[in-house]
Amino acid sequence: MWLVECAARSGVLVVGLFVTTGLWDWLPARWWAVGAALVLAAGYVALVPLWRFAVHRWEVTETAVYTQRGWWTRERRIAPMSRVQTVDLTQGVLARAFGLASVTVTTASAAGPLRIEGLDRVVALRLVDDLTSKAGLVEGDAT
Amino acid sequence: MTDLGPEPWLRLDPRMLLVHPVREVVRFLPALVGLLVAGGASGAGAWTLLGVVVPVGLGVVRYLTTSYRIAAGRVELRRGLLRRHTLSTPIDRVRTVDLSATLVHRVLGLSTVVLGTGSVSADADERLELDALPQPQAVALRGQLLQAGRSTESASDGTPATALPSRTVARFEPRWLWYAPFTGAGLVAAAALIGALAQGMEMFDLRVALSEEDVSTVTGAVAVTALLTVLVLSAALAVIGYLVLNWGFTLSQEGGAWHVRRGLLTTRETSLDEARVAGVARGEPAALRLARGARLSAIATGLERSRERSILVPPAPAGIVAVAASEVLGTAAPMHAPLRPHGRAAVRRRYTRALTGSVPFVIGTAGAVAAGASVWWLLVAVVAVCVALGLARDRALALGHCLVDGFVVTRSGSLLRQRDALATGHVIGWTFRDSWFQRRVGLLTLEATTAGGRGRVGVPDVPAAEAIELADACVPGLVSQFTAPSRS
Repeated sequence: MWLVECAARSGVLVVGLFVTTGLWDWLPARWWAVGAALVLAAGYVALVPLWRFAVHRWEVTETAVYTQRGWWTRERRIAPMSRVQTVDLTQGVLARAFGLASVTVTTASAAGPLRIEGLDRVVALRLVDDLTSKAGLVEGDAT
Repeated sequence: MTDLGPEPWLRLDPRMLLVHPVREVVRFLPALVGLLVAGGASGAGAWTLLGVVVPVGLGVVRYLTTSYRIAAGRVELRRGLLRRHTLSTPIDRVRTVDLSATLVHRVLGLSTVVLGTGSVSADADERLELDALPQPQAVALRGQLLQAGRSTESASDGTPATALPSRTVARFEPRWLWYAPFTGAGLVAAAALIGALAQGMEMFDLRVALSEEDVSTVTGAVAVTALLTVLVLSAALAVIGYLVLNWGFTLSQEGGAWHVRRGLLTTRETSLDEARVAGVARGEPAALRLARGARLSAIATGLERSRERSILVPPAPAGIVAVAASEVLGTAAPMHAPLRPHGRAAVRRRYTRALTGSVPFVIGTAGAVAAGASVWWLLVAVVAVCVALGLARDRALALGHCLVDGFVVTRSGSLLRQRDALATGHVIGWTFRDSWFQRRVGLLTLEATTAGGRGRVGVPDVPAAEAIELADACVPGLVSQFTAPSRS
């Protein structure tokens, strides 16, 4: 399977970021502080989701799962299929509104769950099925 | 659960009837004292009796309701009176066996058995704990469990594990006590003691009246004496703590497992299945390094986040630690091989980061001097910069990685320097992390994830190409399949 791009993630992030800006306004600060915060937040809302969208990638092959996420700090994780322990599909309220879902792939390590966010629901379901069947094919206890 | 086989359920040792009540009485001691006082005042002795009967009763109930058995390849533990709780785990999932005995246990010849299964759950209810069995029976159980786990795992091995003789790799020597004050544990203990004292003084209203005059009479000599007292106190506490924890320490290999035995009052015996030891971590905090000491802990499944149990060698001479490490890993190379330095960019990054930390000091003191403070305040800034430079130099020297004899070896840190060696077979994934600054100079933080220990072994600021090369060399074919399409 080759590199697949996912769609419509930024919408979720924009809404999420508007919520944070709303919270900032509640702070008792002077008008220029609020103004500066608003400008910063506007820049954040305009740029970061796009940046994030540009960075986020995922890829599944016969033997491994690979994810890339983050924006300022970029994180790339690779887990071999033989070490996959569980595959979770989660959908928050916002994600459901947009018809999206995230997939979390956990391994035996405490440090390395692989998360793929903002997938189209249908794609996510297919991915989960795909991963479970592939992980099931490999022998061993995954530790 | 009950149809697994005719294997009978076994009880814990009846002598626990003595241990449980004693422990319960201790736990109920505040209530007991209260009852005694109240009883004495009102003249009612019956309440006092109740205070003794309830804990004893609890102990009896616990004894009667706890039972365990080993049947059909599973270990099962049943406990609880009102809430029955049955735990069951396959024997081949038992990674570590821990025997410990408190003073009371030792007097009665008992020990507690705790089985580590590599489960991530930290719930106390989910712990497989047998408290307690007679000492010989506990040892026999340990042998049985560890051997059963191995025989199902690698039946092709052929050699019976019991044929291997017991071999001691490291043993406690009184001169190790020299390293105790360099561990920082004493400082923590001293701080705790001082805190407790202060609280006690407050409780009894022994407030020391400090007036302005008193403060002005505190001269340098007094301050130095106070500092010395704290130092001596913390050193003494560290030595005592070290003695209590590590007295009689031995690290030995027996029957395909590593056994760590230690403790003055409460003895602990941790057994690690050899196949489960993924690697070792050698910690060299700055102070300990000055004293030419080091400590060693295991990276193994079944020991998640419990530092106490993963210790292989407590703070000890570096030579002994090196010998123990090479014995455990089966090769001396990971601890001695020269590491590959990370290049100029990584070194420069160490200096920038350390100097950034000292910037607030410089700005602060410069501002103060400009506002009319004594010029001597600038000394603080100079000291801060010097410390930062020293740290940066040390950290830059520490950075390194290599792949030798099937182990990924990484080293980093200055105040808490650590050299980790992880067998490539236990690497279950890779994480590459790079911030914008790191990307600009082509570095990234490389982490190998594993099932044991903290779950990862990592080193910062590896040149990107080298990191990918290393990851690819460790687990062939895993990384390269992703680099080809997205990088070409």
